[in-house]
Amino acid sequence: MMEKIVIKGRGALEGIASGPAIVFPDSIAGNSGALGDVDGVVYEKGNINYGISIKNAILVVPCAKGSNGFSAHFKGALIAGVKPAGWVSTKIDARLGVAIASMNMPAVVDFTEVDPIKVISTGDWLEINGTTGEVVITKKNSD
Amino acid sequence: MLKLTDHEKAMLDGKMGKFKQKAMEFNVRYAKVLGAEEFCQVSRTTLFIGAQHYLDCYKHGEEYKKIFSEFYLCSDEEIELGEMAPECKVQTCAGSCDMWNCDKTHLSKEYSDKNKAYTEAARKMGVKIVESCTPYYVGWIPLMGEHFLSTESSNVVISNSFFGAYGNSDGVEAAVCAAITGRTPKWGMHIKENRYADCLVRVKCDVESVSEWDVLGYTIGRKLPKNVVPVVVGDFKRPEINRMRQFSSSISVTSATELCHIVGITPEAQTLEMATGGKICRHEIEITESDIAESLSKICDEGSGPVDYISIGCPHLSLDELKEISEYIKGKKIKEGTELLVWTDYATKAMADVNGYAKDIEDSGAFVLTGSCPIVMREDSHKHATGMVMNGVKQAVGIRHQTKVPVYYGDIRRCIDAAVKGRWEEAE
Repeated sequence: MMEKIVIKGRGALEGIASGPAIVFPDSIAGNSGALGDVDGVVYEKGNINYGISIKNAILVVPCAKGSNGFSAHFKGALIAGVKPAGWVSTKIDARLGVAIASMNMPAVVDFTEVDPIKVISTGDWLEINGTTGEVVITKKNSD
Repeated sequence: MLKLTDHEKAMLDGKMGKFKQKAMEFNVRYAKVLGAEEFCQVSRTTLFIGAQHYLDCYKHGEEYKKIFSEFYLCSDEEIELGEMAPECKVQTCAGSCDMWNCDKTHLSKEYSDKNKAYTEAARKMGVKIVESCTPYYVGWIPLMGEHFLSTESSNVVISNSFFGAYGNSDGVEAAVCAAITGRTPKWGMHIKENRYADCLVRVKCDVESVSEWDVLGYTIGRKLPKNVVPVVVGDFKRPEINRMRQFSSSISVTSATELCHIVGITPEAQTLEMATGGKICRHEIEITESDIAESLSKICDEGSGPVDYISIGCPHLSLDELKEISEYIKGKKIKEGTELLVWTDYATKAMADVNGYAKDIEDSGAFVLTGSCPIVMREDSHKHATGMVMNGVKQAVGIRHQTKVPVYYGDIRRCIDAAVKGRWEEAE
C-alpha cells in the first residue's frame, strides 16, 4: 500500500505538476555559480544536494537564500532546457517569488499547519496543485 | 484580490505600448505569487544586466531584443525595446567585467564587446551605466520610506536598514519590470508593519574592524531562524558605512535577510522598542566568540600556503579605502606571477586617479579595476589560479562554488601582504 500524505498551502501560481522531490532544508544560494546556469546542477559548496540536477524535480525549500541573482540562475537553467517541474516552499519571499513568476510554473507556498521541509523527503513523489494549494506526497519507502 | 490604478490598468491593457504591457503582465503575475493586494511607486532601481553569465543559456550572436524579451519581460514574443519609466532613476548594478580592462582579467575582447553591446542597448532604454554594487558611494541613496529595487543583496540591506528606505530582495526580472513601469508589488519590506523586528540578536563577541563586522554578518546570517527580521544589540563602538557595507553583504550570504535593525544605529531602531514595535521578539539568539571562530573555519582555509590570485573590494571599495590601500602599498612590489585586483566603481576610480591613490597602488603591480569582481566574471577570469585570497566574506564564500583551489580570507593589509609574498601566512 503506497503511503500518501496530503498537505495544504497557498497556491501561488496555477497549474498541476508532478515529479520527484528534492528537499533543500537550507535552501539554495542565489550566488553566481551555486546553480549551474546551463546544466541546472547544484554546485553550492556544503549544500546537501551538491552535484544533483534540478531537472524535472519539484524543489522543496524553506525560502530563498543568498544573492538577488537567485531567480536569474533558475531562469537561465529553464531556457537551457533543465527546468524543475515546480516549487514547494514553507514561506514565500521576494527572491523566490520572482523565480516562480519568471519561470511561470506551478508553486505551492505559505504553509501554516505543517512544514513541508519536515514531512517531505528527497525522492518522494509529489503532485502539486498551484490552484488549490494541495500537495500529495507519496513516500518513496512505502510499499 | 489585486487592485490596479487607472494608470496601471492602462499599462496592462497595452495603451502605453507593448514594452510596458509585458512588464506589467510580469508585475501582476509576481504580485499574485506573493499575495500582494496593490502596487507601490518605485523611484530607484539598480539592474544586474549586461552580458551576465546567467545569459550563457543563449547561443553566441543571439539578438539582444530576443534575450531581453524572453529573459526579463518573460515574453515569448519579441518586443521592441522601449524606455524606462521617467519617474524611476535606473542604473546598472555590478557589471560582468571591467569595461576597459578585460585583458587584465583574462577575459576575451569578444566577451567584453558583447558586454558593451548589451550595456549600450540598456543605456538607450534610459539605464545609466554606473557598474557598482555600492551605488550609495556615488549618489544612489533612497531616502526613508522611498520604494526601491536593487539587484544587489547587500544594497537592499543597506538601503532598508541604514537609509530606512523600502525594498525587497527581488531579482533582476522584477527590477527590470519595475524600472519600465515604475511599479512593484506593495508587499514585504514595502509595508511598515512587516518591518518590525521579531528576532533579537545579542552580540557577545568583540566587533570593531571592517573584517570583524564582515564575519559577524555571516555568523548572524547562519544562526538566524528562517523568515525573520533581526534586531542587533551589543556593546560595540558605533560603526560607520564601510563596516555596515561589509556586514550587509555577508549577512546576505547566509540568510535571506533584507532588513537588519541595530539598536541606536539604524533609523527605525533608535530603541529596541521602536525596532520591535513594542512586541516581544519570537526568537532570540546569541553570537559568541566561538560562533565567530566556527565561521572563520568555514570562510578561510586552514594553514599557510602559496597564493597567486588576490582580490580586494567585495563589495566595491570606497575612496577612503583606496587611500588606505595606497598608503600601505606604497613602495611595495607584488610578487611576480601574482595578481592583486582592487575593485571599485569607475566614478570612485576617477577620484582615486585625481588623488594619486590609483597610481600608488598600480606602481606596486596591482590593478585598480572597476565595476565587477571575480565571482561575477566567473571561472574564465580565475581558472588559472592555484591559491586565492579574498577580502570580502561574500567573495571568499561565493568563489568556492567556482573553484577547487585553496581560498583564504583576510583584511586589506593581510591581502596585500599575501600579494607581496605570494604566500598566505596563517594568523598566529
